[in-house]
Amino acid sequence: MNTKNQMWCVWSGIAFAVFFTLGFWPITHFMPPPSPTMTAAEVASMYAANTNQIRFGLLIMMGASGLILPFTVAIAAQMKRMEGSPSILTYLQLTSGALGVLFFIVPCVLWSVAAFRPERAPELIQLMNDAGWMLFLMPFTTFIVQNFSIGIAILGDENAQPIFPRWLGFFNFWVAVLFIPGGLLTFFKTGPFAWNGLLAFYVPFVIFFTWYIVMFVFLRKGVIAQSARSA
Amino acid sequence: MAAVQPEEHIPGEVGVWVFILGDMVVFALLFGVFVFYRAADVSLFASAQLSLNQSLGALNTLLLLTSSWFVVHGVEAVRAHRAQLARGLLAAAFGCGLGFMVVKYFEYGEKLRAGHTITSNDFFMYYYLLTGIHLLHVTIGMGVLAYLWRRLHNTADMQGQLSAVESGASFWHMVDILWILLFALVYLMR
Repeated sequence: MNTKNQMWCVWSGIAFAVFFTLGFWPITHFMPPPSPTMTAAEVASMYAANTNQIRFGLLIMMGASGLILPFTVAIAAQMKRMEGSPSILTYLQLTSGALGVLFFIVPCVLWSVAAFRPERAPELIQLMNDAGWMLFLMPFTTFIVQNFSIGIAILGDENAQPIFPRWLGFFNFWVAVLFIPGGLLTFFKTGPFAWNGLLAFYVPFVIFFTWYIVMFVFLRKGVIAQSARSA
Repeated sequence: MAAVQPEEHIPGEVGVWVFILGDMVVFALLFGVFVFYRAADVSLFASAQLSLNQSLGALNTLLLLTSSWFVVHGVEAVRAHRAQLARGLLAAAFGCGLGFMVVKYFEYGEKLRAGHTITSNDFFMYYYLLTGIHLLHVTIGMGVLAYLWRRLHNTADMQGQLSAVESGASFWHMVDILWILLFALVYLMR
């Protein structure tokens, strides 16, 4: 069996993490995130000061986000080996993972709208900035569905040689729980649950990329085992 | 399955402890955040705390401790291959969980009628968030208890059932322990 394409898909997850972080951190300077307490004038001047840099960083982030898709498909391919047929959890992971991509691409476009005409009314720029951050960090639902479908599939794996270790299933449940505080940012402009806070931003952000790395390691192992078995 | 020395026995399957310990890290973080912000404004936290109903908090502590007692005996019953008894005990623990929710319903109602909402001040923000996130765990735990109850219908492989029941019981005890910590920190700490 040729698993070369699958291996490319696995590595695309790492490419996503690297390029997205590059755009997010050193280029747009969205790390640390601009505070939700900033006035409209302050937000507008942020976009006016580094307009092209922000546009370029967002372009990189938007482009990198597409790489989530092959990574999601690589997870699905390994889940299908655990699940056999009918592959309900595999489909669930595939659809929720694919939908989750939009919560990376659309915020980039909203922030780009803010950076498109930095001379327009500051309130409108603030509105777009708010919309971008809230769309980026608030929708935990698809990610929870994705993590739970992966976790349940791992625990239900009845292969003599399980594809993934069982603790990875519980790890996925844990990751799902950690995304929930993001939903609370709708109430707060300061503190740990604001969109620049410890529990709505830093914890989910770090956990999300940790999850990428952990999943990458085991997906890579899984693909290698799969090609060895069929060779 | 290889024989396990009793003194080395880890309840349930090892993987479930990834979740339990991970979840306890999250709560440690939440409690740490609470204590950090409390230190920044002790007088506000202390005065707002006075409007909490300690009796209802204590009642809920009692309910969860009782439920843990039922769960412990449920695990013992599974070990003794008495599936029907185990199911009854798990159902009783589930009932305590329901009681916890009913008490919380009245407690939240009392707070909201008194005008204390999640945006009132920092203390009530943490009060609603910590108790809310914990209540979510109670709900998940009750789902686990219901799953075990349904699962114990099958008495063919009691050894296999024991691992699942121990895993679920460990999660339920964690929910109980977290509430005791939360009760001490939010309701009682002076």
